[in-house]
Amino acid sequence: MQTESEGSSSWIAPVAGVGLALVLLGFVSISVLSNVSAAEARLLTPEAENKPKVAVAAQAEVAYCTPQFKQVLERVLHACGLAEGDQRRGCKPADVKTFASISDQDFNALFTPLKDRGGVLRFDMGSEELDAGSKELLEQRWVDRKGARYFFVVARASKTGTPMANRQLSHRRANSVLFHLKEVSKDPELDKKVGLLWLGNEFAQLSEDYCSWPNSRPNEKCGEEPINRSAFVSWVDCRL
Amino acid sequence: MQGTALRLPAFLALFACLLGLVFAYNSTADYASHLDRQLHDMHCSFIPGAGTTTEAEACRAAMYSPYAALLKEKYWGGIPISLFALGAFTFFAGFSLYLALAGARAPKSAVAFFTAVSLTPMLTSAGMLVISLTQLGTICKTCAGIYVASFLLAVAGIWTFVASRRVAVSDSNALLPLAWLACLAGVTLLPAVVYAASMPDHTKYLAECGVLKQPIEKHDALVKMRTSASRQPAILFEDPLCPTCKAFHERLVSEGMFDKLDVQLALFPLDDTCNWMLDRPLHPGACTVSKAVLCAGPEARRVMDWAYEEQVYLTRAGKAGEPTLREVIRQRWGNDILKCMDAKDTTVRLNNHLHFAAENSVPVSTPQVYLGNRRVCDEDTDIGLRFTLKKFAPEVF
Repeated sequence: MQTESEGSSSWIAPVAGVGLALVLLGFVSISVLSNVSAAEARLLTPEAENKPKVAVAAQAEVAYCTPQFKQVLERVLHACGLAEGDQRRGCKPADVKTFASISDQDFNALFTPLKDRGGVLRFDMGSEELDAGSKELLEQRWVDRKGARYFFVVARASKTGTPMANRQLSHRRANSVLFHLKEVSKDPELDKKVGLLWLGNEFAQLSEDYCSWPNSRPNEKCGEEPINRSAFVSWVDCRL
Repeated sequence: MQGTALRLPAFLALFACLLGLVFAYNSTADYASHLDRQLHDMHCSFIPGAGTTTEAEACRAAMYSPYAALLKEKYWGGIPISLFALGAFTFFAGFSLYLALAGARAPKSAVAFFTAVSLTPMLTSAGMLVISLTQLGTICKTCAGIYVASFLLAVAGIWTFVASRRVAVSDSNALLPLAWLACLAGVTLLPAVVYAASMPDHTKYLAECGVLKQPIEKHDALVKMRTSASRQPAILFEDPLCPTCKAFHERLVSEGMFDKLDVQLALFPLDDTCNWMLDRPLHPGACTVSKAVLCAGPEARRVMDWAYEEQVYLTRAGKAGEPTLREVIRQRWGNDILKCMDAKDTTVRLNNHLHFAAENSVPVSTPQVYLGNRRVCDEDTDIGLRFTLKKFAPEVF
């Protein structure tokens, strides 16, 4: 039954409908294909600048890690067995002299930037016992690790006594620090973090100026003798 | 005049279809552009044909959701459902033009068929709208454009049916609707078939992002989130105040994957208070919230979930300062957690998390996901997540 469209061809409507659908379908299919192909092309040949550079997590590396400092650090750490871990632990004065290849003053100067990062644990004359103040300062410094990889313990003895006795005394002082850290930290990787140096009274003695550094007996009389009855401890924020 | 009564709704249907095609095309183009594993701006506007924008969080959330595509385990990113909308609107456009030109000469069966099937896009859209509101908590504007087009098409379909009762409509072959139905199915599927057939294979890219050098944290510091359903070991580096971590976490949960992973959480707050790898805080307060997570013990998952749920509030508190943030934590979790957060052991434990990241040279970006030892590329943590999990950890399915 035809009404107003009478006279027009009955095939126009279906053909137009099918035609539009086919045109749209073709457009849609080609568009999809083109979008996917473009993405594939970008995937196969990515433009370098499109990829944002992301930093990689790493231990800290701060300004005082000069090449010279790192060279000494590396020599000492490797030579003293820290990196390998199981053969030997620590460096005695002769080792440090040999491996650091550096004068006493220059050696001490390297540690100057660590003044506030580290602390001087002071001992009684002839003793390797850590007192309460030393333990507290040591634990404080240990906890404040941040991004550091290595913890240095540089033990010394004053001029009083023979070099041999002082060498042994400073060795025991360094070990006292290590043992206390083992006890409080329960860190299974402690041996890979802590570098021990014991200098006796033979190498890199501290001057009186170091009395102004943070130390475990801030209210006690200080001088060149007492400040060398000590172990300097500090995290070192350098990558090797 | 009688023919005009049918033509008007048919033209409305044609308009609705063209509108739907524009929005569905934009949505598909956005999806397809991400097949290159890069991030792109997206179409996210109520205005048909509007350009891409960086302000497209709702549309991105919809795209990353498990509801945006089918067969995600088989194809990287899956087959976007907008492809079916493209096909369906194409069919309806052709059929609408046919009805508009045929007018009163259109067979009764054609009108009945059109009316019936024109409701299907609206029903589908209604379902998607409910999902958007209840599961995603947001509506993407491009999707809304498709919903509107579907609604207009349904209105036009019903209008056509009503109009056809007042005009004389010729009768026709009763088998035609079956043929049209087959055409509708074919046309609806065709764009998806073209997409699936042409998309690149991402398998070779999945394993290009490296492995953990030292997968075991020797201090046993990581937070364990094992559940009874856990099957696949995973290490996640996350920051409780990182929006991307939150989105990723929600994606894992909504995909039903989180509980199937034997998660070890390595906290990686992007806050220079504790994280030396940054020179400024990207998420102020993240170190404090991370300590709260560590202090929660077996409740760590709850604290982490809370941190994600309240992330905006906590971020604001973090920017206001440490005391404000601590007070927020205290109010929710009590005084004991603050005591624990101040303990040296907690500082050391969080520091161990960060050193774990450093020892493994993890990218300074969160989240980072490792399935066993293998790093899941950042590009595979959103639309390609199910595909990647299927390849690396099929046991979670």
